[in-house]
Amino acid sequence: MKSIFKFSLILLFAFTACAKKTPELVFSVGGAPNELDFWEEIISDFEKEKGIKVRILRQPTDSDQRRQGILIPMKAKIENPDIFLMDIAWIPQFAASNWLLPLDEYVQRDKYSLKPFWKNILDLSDTYKNNIVALPVYIDAGVLYYRKDLLKKYGFQNPPSTWSEFLKISKKIQKAEREKNSSFFAFVWQGAQYEGLICNFLEFASLDGGGFSFTGKLKINTPANIKAADFMKDLINKWKLSPPNTYTDMKEEQVRMFFQSGNALFERNWPYAWGLHQSDNSEIKGKVAIAALPYFKGGKSVSTLGGWHIGISRFSDSKDEAWAFMKYVVSKKVQKSFCLKLGWNPARKDVYSDAEILKKYPHFKDLKNVFGNASPRPAIPYYTQVSDVLQRHINSIVAGKTDSKEAFNQAEFEIKNIIERYE
Amino acid sequence: MKNFIKKFESYAFVSPLLVFVALFVLIPIIGSIWTSMFRDVTFLKMKFIFLDNYGDLLRDEGFWKSLRFTLLFIAVTVPLELIIGTAFAVVLDLKIPFRGLLRACVLVPWAIPSAISAKIWELVYNYSYGLANYILLSTGLSEAPVNWIGTDIGAFTTVVVADVWKTAPFVALLVLAGLQSVPSDLRLQAKIDRANFVQTFFLITLPLLKPVLLVSLLFRTIDSLRVFDVIYVLTHGGPGGATTSVSLYAYKYFLGGDFGYGSAISVLLFLVAFVMSVFYIKVSKFQDNL
Repeated sequence: MKSIFKFSLILLFAFTACAKKTPELVFSVGGAPNELDFWEEIISDFEKEKGIKVRILRQPTDSDQRRQGILIPMKAKIENPDIFLMDIAWIPQFAASNWLLPLDEYVQRDKYSLKPFWKNILDLSDTYKNNIVALPVYIDAGVLYYRKDLLKKYGFQNPPSTWSEFLKISKKIQKAEREKNSSFFAFVWQGAQYEGLICNFLEFASLDGGGFSFTGKLKINTPANIKAADFMKDLINKWKLSPPNTYTDMKEEQVRMFFQSGNALFERNWPYAWGLHQSDNSEIKGKVAIAALPYFKGGKSVSTLGGWHIGISRFSDSKDEAWAFMKYVVSKKVQKSFCLKLGWNPARKDVYSDAEILKKYPHFKDLKNVFGNASPRPAIPYYTQVSDVLQRHINSIVAGKTDSKEAFNQAEFEIKNIIERYE
Repeated sequence: MKNFIKKFESYAFVSPLLVFVALFVLIPIIGSIWTSMFRDVTFLKMKFIFLDNYGDLLRDEGFWKSLRFTLLFIAVTVPLELIIGTAFAVVLDLKIPFRGLLRACVLVPWAIPSAISAKIWELVYNYSYGLANYILLSTGLSEAPVNWIGTDIGAFTTVVVADVWKTAPFVALLVLAGLQSVPSDLRLQAKIDRANFVQTFFLITLPLLKPVLLVSLLFRTIDSLRVFDVIYVLTHGGPGGATTSVSLYAYKYFLGGDFGYGSAISVLLFLVAFVMSVFYIKVSKFQDNL
């Protein structure tokens, strides 16, 4: 009897603990430990400056789990977290689910200028039904890293601009380097079965008709896409220019470490890798340069747009405070500190012309154009489901398991069912 | 009156358990079935669609593929776990030196959370720094490292090995407990009748272990049916979706905001588990054996 009494007491406490308290601003953010520590610093500066208390809701590094951490409170329509960071690929779903607070009202009220942001990014990713629903915190676009010392050593002046030039250079240098280093590969990129594979694929699918279009007639099974997927497979299987575990293990960090250990000539990665490649314990410090990704003759270089954006929950109980915090996070001062401390690529154009930034990151001059032309992933609310189908089938092609034509056919069939389900 | 109190008393005693089961098992199951009959998608209007989710599911090739994988996974792992687990239990039941220590050692894999044990296996299988490739290369058995999870069979095997390693001790534990209940005089008598160790095991011990083996079989089958963490960590469903289990497939839909479809997948999985359990119990005449 006593234990039942105790149990009900515990239940009672549990329920009262859930009872409403005074509103506080809760910010949900995940990432590497050093990133979270830096967020804490920013929050304490913000608290001192504006007098608004912020509680940080720490989330893991894994992006699926970060998404789950926002999905569940939003589904339950609860007031916390008030504000959160989202991957660019989630915004269509979040916006269509009516979870994001439309910001136009706030922008007009404060006469807040959106000029410093890239217009293409705001239009393509942060706008839903003609209303701004999020702002970029940092942006990503795929770039080609290359070893300038090796290119020079073998008599190449410039990085390749087309894939055929790329193959010529890669074959020659890999063959020569292999004599000293048996684990040398010409090119590392993200090929594991996950979202990064789609980002890479879209960059290979640079020919006309490549990529995935959901406006008008669905196009998946196109010659450009088949060519792209076959090229990815051949890099591993036929020319053996990429390691055999590309399609099983290679995600951003595996690729970055492979290249950073000095065992590769080219690397496809996001701009974050630059700061790490140039750090003191890197084998390739001072030997790396950045270029636009190559393209097939007749096409043009394509970079997939990535990055993280900040949005306010529609269910928030402190929207004004959240908006103040949002403005603070995308202010020039904070954006600059992200860039200097964490090596993130600022979302504001004015930071890229800042003298202090350019001194530390001279390559930023080149990146500005890459971001202006980066192409987004399809902005459909059911993108996760579509991406899952594509990941499975493209990974299967790259692994050499299925014929590309057949795989895209099957993917198109499955995606048609998905569209039918959600439209 | 006295009778009534007596009757009421027994209900009072089971009521805490009933409340517990209702709160944590029954209500979630009914909730899932309920949700599975709705178009419960975060970006669409909620709508009652009765069995439409199931209709979509039946023509979803991705789902069938994951179900085939999961059933094959059960067909391979569960027998292996039962055989290896029973073998360990029999050995640990013998009066051998360091028996206590050995028993503790065997249980270690079971005590490790599966996500962590999967990470440990990743350190074995990893292409660039894994133990398996290190051994292969340093003993000269292979010229180049092997991409263990690069083929369908390879990925399947790695997942099976990791899962058996982790869960065979669970079977061992149950069987070991069962062995305590096999009367020692029966075995002694068999010995007097000049039965050897193998004969004693197969003719005396094993039949008496049947109820325990059935419980393990049931537990392991249901547990394997919802396999998630080992795969999530080791292969993430790859290559090309070859090791995507049903749970992993459902998870992707929950993540994409389609709670109705995700629930329908879970309910089907529940039905498969339910049918399998009923089948086991009927076929084995479980009740008579207890």
